[in-house]
Amino acid sequence: MLKTACQEQLLPGDTLQEKWEFAQNAGFDAIELRAKGDHHFRGRLPELRAALKDGVVMPTVCVDMLHFFGAFDADLRRDAVEQMKSQLSVIAEIGGRGAQTPASYGMFSRRLPPFEPPRGEEEERAVLLEGLTELGEHARKEGVHLYLEPLNRYEDHMVNRLEQAVDLIRAVGLDSVRIGIDSYHMNIEEADPAAAILEAAPYIGHAQVSDSNRFQPGAGHLDWPAWLAALHTIGYDGYLAAECRLTGDPVGAVRSIPGFLRRSGA
Amino acid sequence: MTTTLTDRPARARERLRRDAARVLLTNWTGTSTVPSHTLYPHQWSWDSAFIAIGLRHLSPRRAQRELESLVGAQWADGRIPHIVFSPRVPLDAYFPSPDFWRSSTAGRAAGAPAGTETSGIVQPPVHALAAALVHERDPATSRRRGFLERLYPRLAAWHDYLLRDRDFTGHGLASVVHPWEPGMDNSPCWDGPLRRITPAPPESFRRVDLTHGDAAARPTDLDYGRYVRLAADYRDHGYRDAGTPHPFAVEDPGFNALLIASEHALAGIAEQVGRDPRPHRERAEALTDALVRHLWQPKAGMFLCRDVRGDSVIEDRSVTGLLPLVVPSLPGHVVDALLGTVTGEHFGLGTGTRLVASYDLRGPAFDPARYWRGPAWFNINWLLERGLRLHGAASEADALRRAVLDAAGGSRFAEYVDPYTGEGHGANRFSWTAAVALDLLAGTAEEDGR
Repeated sequence: MLKTACQEQLLPGDTLQEKWEFAQNAGFDAIELRAKGDHHFRGRLPELRAALKDGVVMPTVCVDMLHFFGAFDADLRRDAVEQMKSQLSVIAEIGGRGAQTPASYGMFSRRLPPFEPPRGEEEERAVLLEGLTELGEHARKEGVHLYLEPLNRYEDHMVNRLEQAVDLIRAVGLDSVRIGIDSYHMNIEEADPAAAILEAAPYIGHAQVSDSNRFQPGAGHLDWPAWLAALHTIGYDGYLAAECRLTGDPVGAVRSIPGFLRRSGA
Repeated sequence: MTTTLTDRPARARERLRRDAARVLLTNWTGTSTVPSHTLYPHQWSWDSAFIAIGLRHLSPRRAQRELESLVGAQWADGRIPHIVFSPRVPLDAYFPSPDFWRSSTAGRAAGAPAGTETSGIVQPPVHALAAALVHERDPATSRRRGFLERLYPRLAAWHDYLLRDRDFTGHGLASVVHPWEPGMDNSPCWDGPLRRITPAPPESFRRVDLTHGDAAARPTDLDYGRYVRLAADYRDHGYRDAGTPHPFAVEDPGFNALLIASEHALAGIAEQVGRDPRPHRERAEALTDALVRHLWQPKAGMFLCRDVRGDSVIEDRSVTGLLPLVVPSLPGHVVDALLGTVTGEHFGLGTGTRLVASYDLRGPAFDPARYWRGPAWFNINWLLERGLRLHGAASEADALRRAVLDAAGGSRFAEYVDPYTGEGHGANRFSWTAAVALDLLAGTAEEDGR
């Protein structure tokens, strides 16, 4: 059986301990943390250590910022790399597996005006390889993984499909850089999501789940059995982390996720 | 039964399940599954039915799509063609290719679809059985998608075609008009009827099957010329059964047994969609009576094919004569004799062979490696496993299931295997081999739980 996790902001409760109580009752195996900028995540270390002591399982963290290591602006890029390094160190310190980030989000789309990004493709690739190398080396030193998340074409213009992430990871040449796949983005970008999982199998380190409409799994029309069967087929042993919006009663919606994923073959 | 499959521990089963899933996920093309990307790069009729039976364990939606895409190419006369060609595959990737069959033009009067190229012959009608099993796996998804509502009239029309246009003798049985129709293309059963056929000249066609397959395991050039002649003549008569001489016509017990099993399944489907199941049950019973009356051979202890043009019994013992085990309401003495024959000297299951061979182990034409002249096929053994279980031979069924799973994994999901050794032949990573393995694995999980 595949393990499930839920991002912390979706869970009711004021503390991680309260959220964990709810998550366990709902059938989740873990909580995925979210990390804001300005070293906010590092500032949460006392809270995270206390939660860890109380048995909260927190294997992964997902970046929650508005600039990323692929930013056009050099200063923002530098800051994003520093923030991610700090997040990798924190998740390592609490015994986690890794931190997830896209190349960028909401910065540019080739499908929306003005269609042509200000940087050429060569420069984009150089920026991505530089960022991934620095982050990958830091992750390796900390004993965790950096998960590169391909986003759909409307949210990022650089890394949309798993094969593009595989190409970058091969060029970087570090085992500490893996792909963090997301069912919602894959539904838009991959011709056959299950086949894409098989193709990229050795590079997949983490998986986030939401349905075709970005709502909780079960609220849209993804072929979950096929997607999950592909993860079973490659022997995936990570988590399925719910990163989604909620439709219907929010508490009921969150509670429905583990059961739905199980029924779909997780 | 309390068998726990100690020789196939959970970890080995999980590995087999993953490997089988990989085959089906890799051979999926978006709307259907190719039997093999190399040897068979299009959609085949009975392959799709067996594939759907396995695919239902991976993705009920894909399993439904598999059957929907196949019946989407159904002809207006009701026939489901044995190949639906993919327009994305080059013409020379498979022979006979769309420009040989020319269904959209030559078959227009018989109701061939205009926008899709298909072959003009058929394969065994196992589709309603597959549709019922696919529905059972996830009734909620099936109902939401209107799966059975859409398939029911198509499947009924398919069976209507077979009993309306293919009952050449008035026996109430369907005849096959080409050796490829019963699915056992190169069976020694066809040698006699084929001798009457003048082969098409070798320079008139170019085989592609030898590019990917071992010639020693494939049909001879002479037989291939006859296959081509029969298909070309059918085409040149517009694929209309009434107007085609059909010099090759055989009443095949396996083909008709699958029609009966599917007619029973169609009765269940009719109930699900609020239609009257009785006509289907009545037709299944009438077919069963006709099958036993005309094709049962007590001395052989099995069913034998009937050469319609020669008006004679074909004496060769082929596994097709054991397939009526999938029929639920056979007379008791027939069931008893069939169970004896499966394990007896001619098929030797459990004593001589690991899987049931396609042809008589003692027959003059037996060859453990040549296409349908001896090797064991996985879909056939899946049907026999089901038949053994249906008629109460649970320990034999359990043993056959284990043997099929071992041979499937051991041969890397070969198209067919040596029935004695399990050595693989033909294509590997073959879709229906993986599919029936997945389905039988699901059965072993149930066995563990009881």
